[in-house]
Amino acid sequence: MSGNLVVLGVALLAWLLLFFYLMRLERRIKELEKR
Amino acid sequence: MWRGLLLLWMTVSMVAAFTWAPLVPGLEETTRVLYFHIPAAWLSVVGLGWSMVHSLLYLGRRRIEHDDHAAAAAELGLLFCVVATVSGSVWAKAVWHSYWNWDPRETSIFFILLIYGAYLALRSAIEGEERRARLSAIYSAAAFVTVPFLMFVVPRIYFSLHPDPLINPGGKIEMDPRIRIGFGAMLVGFTGLFAWLLSLRVRLVRLERVQLEAGAVPGGSL
Repeated sequence: MSGNLVVLGVALLAWLLLFFYLMRLERRIKELEKR
Repeated sequence: MWRGLLLLWMTVSMVAAFTWAPLVPGLEETTRVLYFHIPAAWLSVVGLGWSMVHSLLYLGRRRIEHDDHAAAAAELGLLFCVVATVSGSVWAKAVWHSYWNWDPRETSIFFILLIYGAYLALRSAIEGEERRARLSAIYSAAAFVTVPFLMFVVPRIYFSLHPDPLINPGGKIEMDPRIRIGFGAMLVGFTGLFAWLLSLRVRLVRLERVQLEAGAVPGGSL
């Protein structure tokens, strides 16, 4: 079970990093579109 | 708003898939790969199909926006194809004790990677926006003809190490209800992520084109 939780933790971390990277990218694109 | 919902949806789906849904007998802990591998394979077909649709629209209407969509969707289709291949390979190592077995599905996905890798190479090799868009659209529309054949027909014709398709010949989905819910939730979440990625990539392609037309240095610090 603990190995399972480690994999879940890694998957969640990867998902959160991807999500916040995409949010940052979205903001940057909006800025560029405004120019 | 919808991005926050996507964040919550995917997080809850992952936790449910790992802690609430049971394991498939025989697959044991490797069952978890199912929640990533099949949505990725599904989205590769969606992406490549979306590219084909916009390629045909471009050929009909000659509007460059359709070429933007076709290129972005093909890139994402290929990206998800790579995710499906890598996750499948890891799964194969755990279950079949080898990363690569030239199973019909593995062989099919290998050819799809080659075909769409060539599409991206073709795009980067052609000078001139209109010419690149026209030739790429013809290639993409023709290339997609192979996708249903390679993805759905070949694995059913030849003996495959892969388990039976999710929807069996009787038209039923034979899965534990909790696995079905977890899998469905992940499929919806991945599809939402795909839609977001596609919208971002299309907007980036447009910005790159505007920059090029304005004579600015392409690329940038994104």
